[in-house]
Amino acid sequence: MPKVTLGGKELEIDEDGFIQEPEKWDKAVAEDIAKTEEAYPMSEDHWKVINYLRNYFLEFEIAPPIRMVTKQTGFDLKTIYKLFPGGPAKGACKIAGLPKPTGCV
Amino acid sequence: MKKKITLRDIGKIEGQMVDIDKADLSRLPAPLDDPADEPGIKQLTGEQKDRFDASLDGISAIGLVKPQNKQEEEDFVRKFIAGLKKLLSKENNWTFLQPLMLSLENCAKCQNCSEACPVFTESGRQEIYRPTYRTEVLRRIIRKYLKKEGKLLSKFTGSDIDLNFKTIARLAELSYRCTLCRRCAQSCPIGVDNGLITHELRKLFSQEMDIAPKELHQLGTVQHLKVGSSTGTSPKALASFIDFIEGEIEEITGKTIRIPVDKEGADILLLHNAGEFISWPENIEAFAIIFDAAGVDWTLSSSLVAYDAVNYGVWYDDVQLARIAARHAQAARDLKVNRMMVGECGHAHKAMLVVSDRVLTGDLNIPRESAIPLLEDIVLNDKIRLDRSKNNFPVTLHDPCNLVRLSGIVEPQRRILRKICPDFREMEPHGVDNYCCGGGSGFAIMDSNNFSDWRSSVSGRMKLKQILTTFGDVMNPEIHKYVCAPCSNCKGMIRDLLSRYRLTEKHGIYYGGLVDLIANAMVDVKGQFINWETS
Repeated sequence: MPKVTLGGKELEIDEDGFIQEPEKWDKAVAEDIAKTEEAYPMSEDHWKVINYLRNYFLEFEIAPPIRMVTKQTGFDLKTIYKLFPGGPAKGACKIAGLPKPTGCV
Repeated sequence: MKKKITLRDIGKIEGQMVDIDKADLSRLPAPLDDPADEPGIKQLTGEQKDRFDASLDGISAIGLVKPQNKQEEEDFVRKFIAGLKKLLSKENNWTFLQPLMLSLENCAKCQNCSEACPVFTESGRQEIYRPTYRTEVLRRIIRKYLKKEGKLLSKFTGSDIDLNFKTIARLAELSYRCTLCRRCAQSCPIGVDNGLITHELRKLFSQEMDIAPKELHQLGTVQHLKVGSSTGTSPKALASFIDFIEGEIEEITGKTIRIPVDKEGADILLLHNAGEFISWPENIEAFAIIFDAAGVDWTLSSSLVAYDAVNYGVWYDDVQLARIAARHAQAARDLKVNRMMVGECGHAHKAMLVVSDRVLTGDLNIPRESAIPLLEDIVLNDKIRLDRSKNNFPVTLHDPCNLVRLSGIVEPQRRILRKICPDFREMEPHGVDNYCCGGGSGFAIMDSNNFSDWRSSVSGRMKLKQILTTFGDVMNPEIHKYVCAPCSNCKGMIRDLLSRYRLTEKHGIYYGGLVDLIANAMVDVKGQFINWETS
């Protein structure tokens, strides 16, 4: 796995840029990933999505279904794509430090 | 431009054997008939090229790490030969030896299979993708290295293939350039099954050499057995998803419908592909709404492994296949259900309904069925109230290979669609002659390196052409069009095709499952079940 510096730390990432050690995530890491995802500077709306994803992940160890995200944050899918041009999984989840989704999703 | 490639080249050519040039790909129909609309396949980065072997076609599906020295290279070849011997012995391959030998010994080289193979034809007839190419290489390796008289004979017959790292590495990648759709086997006058041979090669690589795509193995079957699902869904997360889904059902129908979980003695244990909970919760909702209205006595299981119907082992590893199949059946036995039923998941049909026949015996041999005939009974025998005018938009049906060609479930889904969709139109060809979505055998979830580009540009190309042709007269984006794909894997692949070529955005082509259309036609569901905004 390649290593990169994010938020001042050296972190392992996979070939799509997902960090491999979710416990090392913090806000500075998120902002550095956001720069590569056309989601920088991060507004309050960005953080609303990221914090929701992060908290769900900490409780359930998986990303929530997209529809759960739109319902809980109040942003529709179009808005999510505007905030995160890479989309909810490859954009938002990556910034939130979640692993890349697996299985038939 | 394409190079002329021979069988012996697999062990001889230095560097990359062929390059998949987008100019060689088949032409797409309107509105994608401008070759500039073809995104092509991105090249591996220098770092990826250094690390992984991509000497077949510049694509790395399996992330095969190159050997570091001569010793590693020799061990690699030795392990392959040892594995091949096991593959050809009754003690080690009792499941598949007979059909494997029949296919290895009986090819007449007529090439009917090549014309039937969408990977071969749509790639612009790349020789390496010909169904007989990898098979013939394997046959010649067996003849030369495993048979007593082989070495001498192979020189006379010109079948002299070098068995070195290059040959084996390319063969390993090549076993992931076929979707196991088995259209070739159907077209063969003798019944030679090149898909089966590809499957057996994948088995050899996984079981004997630890070579398998990480999406299928570490993140697939290994995660499934450890965490409970290949999606990483734990029982706790499952409960959270179900809670959310019940809430959505209430919003849509105004009714409180509980999703039964671990209901002992239910008639049916329904097994969903767990990807549905995450990416297509509407599929789970539609099943629940329909079953509730029809009075079906059913349950889900919350047991580890059994809340995910998938069994990726069926694509590449018999041992992993058996482990998962047993866990599915144990859950059914513990819940004392009458039968197990697979939802809209093609490869789970293959694993549970067909291949598991050789694995599940004694008290684990519980009746295993597809949900499609039950849905047909509900729809055709008026067990729920339906209004077909609610599905007043063009609908076509994509046939998952494992449903039609493998399981023989061909007409039930069509009888449903003819009844509930006023503008149902068949793709050509369809039914048992269908083309794979391009994501079969795990391809839809394999995204490593540049493989997702390859599958969208090459293995999914024929399906893309079929979709465009079927809706050719209604391309106006104002008209919503629906590709019905009753399989999670196919849905994922079709989603990627529609998005890559911007067909939803520019031409109003959507996709979804079968139960979604049934729920959408239900009189008791006020308004529309299908939500075009979130589809």
